[in-house]
Amino acid sequence: MKTGFHSPHRALSRRAFLADMGMGFTGLALGAMLQRDARASGAAWSPPDGLPHFPPKAKNVIWLFMNGGVSHMESFDPKPMLTKYAGKTIAETPFKDTQDPKKLALERLVVPDANGNQRNVLFPLQSGFQKHGQSGIEVSDWFPHIARNVDKLAIVRSMWTTDSNHGAQAQFHSGRHMNDGEFPTLGAWVHYGLGSLNDNLPQFISMGTREYWMKRDGHYLGPVHDAVPLRIDPANPLDFAKPERPFSADAQALGRDLVKELNALRGVEYPRDPAMAARIASYELAFRMQRSVPDVLDFSKETAETKALYGVELPHCRDFAMQLLATRRLVERGVRFVQIQHGGGGAGVWDAHGGLKANHAKNSLAVDQPIGALLTDLERRGLLNETIVIFATEFGRTPGTQGSDGRDHHIFGFSVWMAGGGLKRGVVHGATDEIGFHATENRHYVTDIHATILQQLGLDSRRLEIPGRKRLEIDHGKPIREIIA
Amino acid sequence: MKCNAAAECGRWIFFPVLVALVPVAPVGAAVDYAKDVKPLLRERCYSCHGALKQKAKLRLDTVELMLMGGEDGAVIERGKPDRSLIIGRVTDSDPVERMPPPHEGEPFTAAQVAMLREWIAAGAPAPADEKPETDPKEHWAFRPRVRPSVPQVANAKWVRNPVDAFIAKQHGERGLTPQPEASRPVLLRRLYLDLIGLPPTPAEIAAFENDASPDWYERAVNRLLDDPRHGERWARHWMDVWRYSDWWGLNDQLRNSQKHIWHWRDWIVESLNADTPYDEMIRLMLAADELHPNDLGKLRATGFLARNWFLFNRDHWLDETVEHVSKGILGITLNCAKCHDHKFDPFAQADYYKMRAFFEPYHVRMDVAPGEADLARDGIPRAFDGLLDTPTYRFVRGEESRPDKSAVIAPAVPDLFAFKKLEISPVTLPPEAWQPERRPWVADTHLAAARKKVEAATSAAEQAKTKAADAKPADSAAAQGALNVAELALALAKAELASLELRIAAMRATWTRTDRGANDPAGDDEREKVKAAIQSEREVAAAKARHAVASAELRLPNAPATPAEKKAVSVEKELKAARESLEKATKALAAPIAATEKVTPFSGAEWTPTRFFTSTKDDPKVEPGPKSSGRRSALADWITDARNPLTARVAVNHIWSRHMGAPLVATTFDFGRKNAAPAHVELIDWLACELVEHGWSMKHVHRLIVTSAAYRMMSSTAGGEANAAKDQDNVRLWRRTPIRLEAEAVRDSILALAGELDPTMGGPSVPTAAQAESKRRSLYFFHSNNERNLFLTTFDEANVKECYRRDESIIPQQALALLNSRLVQDSAARIAARLGADVPAGDDAAFVRQAFRGVLGVAPNDGELAACMKTMDAWRKLPKATPDQARANLIWALLNHNDFVTLR
Repeated sequence: MKTGFHSPHRALSRRAFLADMGMGFTGLALGAMLQRDARASGAAWSPPDGLPHFPPKAKNVIWLFMNGGVSHMESFDPKPMLTKYAGKTIAETPFKDTQDPKKLALERLVVPDANGNQRNVLFPLQSGFQKHGQSGIEVSDWFPHIARNVDKLAIVRSMWTTDSNHGAQAQFHSGRHMNDGEFPTLGAWVHYGLGSLNDNLPQFISMGTREYWMKRDGHYLGPVHDAVPLRIDPANPLDFAKPERPFSADAQALGRDLVKELNALRGVEYPRDPAMAARIASYELAFRMQRSVPDVLDFSKETAETKALYGVELPHCRDFAMQLLATRRLVERGVRFVQIQHGGGGAGVWDAHGGLKANHAKNSLAVDQPIGALLTDLERRGLLNETIVIFATEFGRTPGTQGSDGRDHHIFGFSVWMAGGGLKRGVVHGATDEIGFHATENRHYVTDIHATILQQLGLDSRRLEIPGRKRLEIDHGKPIREIIA
Repeated sequence: MKCNAAAECGRWIFFPVLVALVPVAPVGAAVDYAKDVKPLLRERCYSCHGALKQKAKLRLDTVELMLMGGEDGAVIERGKPDRSLIIGRVTDSDPVERMPPPHEGEPFTAAQVAMLREWIAAGAPAPADEKPETDPKEHWAFRPRVRPSVPQVANAKWVRNPVDAFIAKQHGERGLTPQPEASRPVLLRRLYLDLIGLPPTPAEIAAFENDASPDWYERAVNRLLDDPRHGERWARHWMDVWRYSDWWGLNDQLRNSQKHIWHWRDWIVESLNADTPYDEMIRLMLAADELHPNDLGKLRATGFLARNWFLFNRDHWLDETVEHVSKGILGITLNCAKCHDHKFDPFAQADYYKMRAFFEPYHVRMDVAPGEADLARDGIPRAFDGLLDTPTYRFVRGEESRPDKSAVIAPAVPDLFAFKKLEISPVTLPPEAWQPERRPWVADTHLAAARKKVEAATSAAEQAKTKAADAKPADSAAAQGALNVAELALALAKAELASLELRIAAMRATWTRTDRGANDPAGDDEREKVKAAIQSEREVAAAKARHAVASAELRLPNAPATPAEKKAVSVEKELKAARESLEKATKALAAPIAATEKVTPFSGAEWTPTRFFTSTKDDPKVEPGPKSSGRRSALADWITDARNPLTARVAVNHIWSRHMGAPLVATTFDFGRKNAAPAHVELIDWLACELVEHGWSMKHVHRLIVTSAAYRMMSSTAGGEANAAKDQDNVRLWRRTPIRLEAEAVRDSILALAGELDPTMGGPSVPTAAQAESKRRSLYFFHSNNERNLFLTTFDEANVKECYRRDESIIPQQALALLNSRLVQDSAARIAARLGADVPAGDDAAFVRQAFRGVLGVAPNDGELAACMKTMDAWRKLPKATPDQARANLIWALLNHNDFVTLR
């Protein structure tokens, strides 16, 4: 194999070229431009080759993100003390030291927040909770289907973040406060770092509604690492995935062959042109995607039992059920990273500043059964061991009341859980204090979740770093070893 | 890539640590100083112990200097790692003693320490000719710009102008042979797309192909540079660099940039077409409000600053301003010095805040544009100095919450570039600039709007009258009520018009007097006018209340009792409030007018309110005053001074990059020491001198570049294998670099070929919802962080946050967009009809030739011709096929050809 490519378009080594093309859905230019720039500055650097850095434990990621901020106390970190001391100010309870200004100094409130006041009067738990499974982990009654799968979960009850407004959504994905700028999300890093599992589908897919402050993923890695939005609409699942005007498949196929031939014929005049080669390959992939994407959304081959399991016929959870069933089908076909935002509009549907009970009851009903089904379905198909499912949200909600019946944003402690992909099952890691105010044990910033996922995928984020884009220690995070099996 | 390290140096107060990205020698291999040790020290130590700074009088940039040591003596002892100070310091457990110090990065890893020890143990070997870092002042881009002499070269016959001489010199030195000139059709397509962003028409191709004159190329260049579409094409490039963005926010709430910011875009297009000098454009963008305070046309330029407006956070806003003035215009990464001294360039942390101080006073307002009184519909967003007394403080470690109030930072430029004393003197503004209601057209515009309202109310009242006259008895009462309301609305409109006229008269009287002297007492005439105006405002209030009462009374009986009882209650409430207002207004009519009462001025501009303090409430109003600080005009003067070493170099690099497919300095926003000197320093300097010495004419530089032999080379590597072996990356420019067409050029070209491109220039941005149907050029599409056109985004259109260089990705979504979009499918048929109009039915060969020329700009070769004809035949044999379809399908295929989206 030759070591170099005589590239007329951009400086590009054979290795970089193969990496780009091998990734199937990624682009040519970024790696090439970077490499040329790196050469010009004398540094030795080459883009990722699409292979894990060390043996992976997982292949795929399903990223479920609840927009708006799920109450940790009424989901996966129940706090009976809230009910016991309901109506009291925190200062009147045995937990007044949670208000020590030093402990509150974490908050980096740069954008003034209308909701930034401390909520000091404790608000009782709005849902009951029970122990579940062999592990006996307590879960809110609002999530019965997930609770039935609790022995598959690794729950982290000690998350913290710094943006006390919904920019924290972007922060959870990229690891950076929005005032620092915009940075690649975890999905973009995974897409950038790992090769394709399937050449017929995009490798990084998003579903659901994304707010304006986090519409994209690639950022400085380039738009080729943005998630490709997929709609649960077999007629129009993907932008430009089928002709917008009638055009027969036969005519298109003839055209496809002609384009391929013409491009190849041009190669006589423009030999050794990697851009041409990349474009020919991108057309091949595009033609394959036109067939394979609608196939993903063709649920007719799913059994009635499976469809019922997800709840695709139930009005209260239908949308999310369809998305998760499609997700399973995507993962089954080797799609690397599926990112689903639940509840768009405004700041996100979970943002229960008022009427928390009605809000969370309704939203949990919309997601609980599909998520429970996804866990069950992945497990029985043998996919859970190689797939990480994560349930996350931008922050928790205040132990204190907002208004008469809501909870405000809360960055000092909240919960996420992960399942599958070589993680421990049926464990709780970390803890908040007795009123759910501060993460007190084994505290984790959001990038520790990224590090854990990258670890399981066999990636070292430091080796993905690109020239001119220094990342900080906190950007990399640290894998949560305690929950890795 | 498009960005630099320091942009990522966030402000992590808890974890201010940098991770080393330096190689660690594999275990077992001998440590190589140049490959292993030196990069580590450069990365972690040189910024304080090198040419930039010599803390503790110590430099570590050569082994000799390490042995010479600093205040504490030598830092290495050959062969004795345990006795080498450097090992002690990098491994010290006391953070105060440890190097690098806290806040300057993490400790060395064990592997790095081991490598360092091993190297010292081996006797600290280093190359004999090791050189210390050069003085930052000597850095190529920081040195004063001197016009280099044009080299005499062996390959003189290749040289078309001095640009080529500099390149030919490097060819000669490296044994490279430039690729031959591209064919005429290729050159023509290259010129058209480069200079106007659209392909030549078949007629234009034919005309130039038949032009035997030797200067056909130069004439084509001149014609295209004079074409108004040139301004549109190149405006989009500069809009990338200058971060053009339409407004965005949460739903309807403005949070970033400004409404009507398109005025700035139009100013860019017009300025480029007029060949407004680059230095003048920079001056106007930074300080038109001080330099031409009453020239709305020029004030549009300050959209450059208005675009950085951000509702919630002043620091965020000024950070972006400092960062992108520095990167985009000066090619320096001053933003890296926000939290600490710059690690590579001689900029202290204070320099960052000195630059911020130039911008500290500025805010944004919307001026009334002639002909439109409603600022929601139109207006000129612009900068003005509203906060003259706000001090600038250095933020400790860049944290907004920790201003160092011991010293106010004054505006200044980094010492290295202080080639002259900065003269900052406040600018006295003419009254119309800070009291924009005094601009003559403002009163006229308000009057016209008020008259229009009277006209509308008059015709509404007439209609109500007819309706009342024609009403059946059952509807009569309601119709009479409606007529009453309409008549009261008319009365209100008339009262408003009358009041406006009186207010104008009163305000003009006051201006006349205050222009004579601020303390001049008001005369009788003025007092009478003021009184009349105040009384007229009371009349308006009364008329408004009468109308409100009648309107509520009319709706009251119709308000449904059930189930919408609430609604009735609200009409009742409204009626009650209206009656109270009416009572108050009626009383007020008869009240004497106090001397302290003032006329409500009509507006000539509105401050764009910020919410820095509370996210739900506007901040106290920032009012324009009679003085401007003069800071920004002083900055603009310094930036555009011919002695500024950076400005012209950075500008020609931006221009070069877009003509030639790659910049001469890869990091277009960072000309600092972090990067090695580029290969073509002399060429950059020569072009920069040409720019400055030709009155900063950009068209002059365009002409130089596009008429060079370098520009006219083939992009193919065919026959250039020997060159490729020596210079694979084409650093020495032995061939042309092909360009993947920018998103806008792809879409515009398709529409142009279809004969559908709407040539209308300028005006409000085409809203997202109208874009699918719009045939306007893509630069006019609404484009913000929130709203981006899907087709354009697929082809890497500009990121509004920062885009110093476009990505040129090749991804399947692009293939899908070209295969399946309505734009391409519809256009293909139209292009086929246009190109095939004169081709007899059945003459496929002729059509293929036309199609190739029209779409790709070149003639097909035999293989291509045969392949196309064969496929056209096959298309025709498909069920339900028509001959037209075969032609449209061929065009569709050619639009999907690699060379359609590539500038060869």
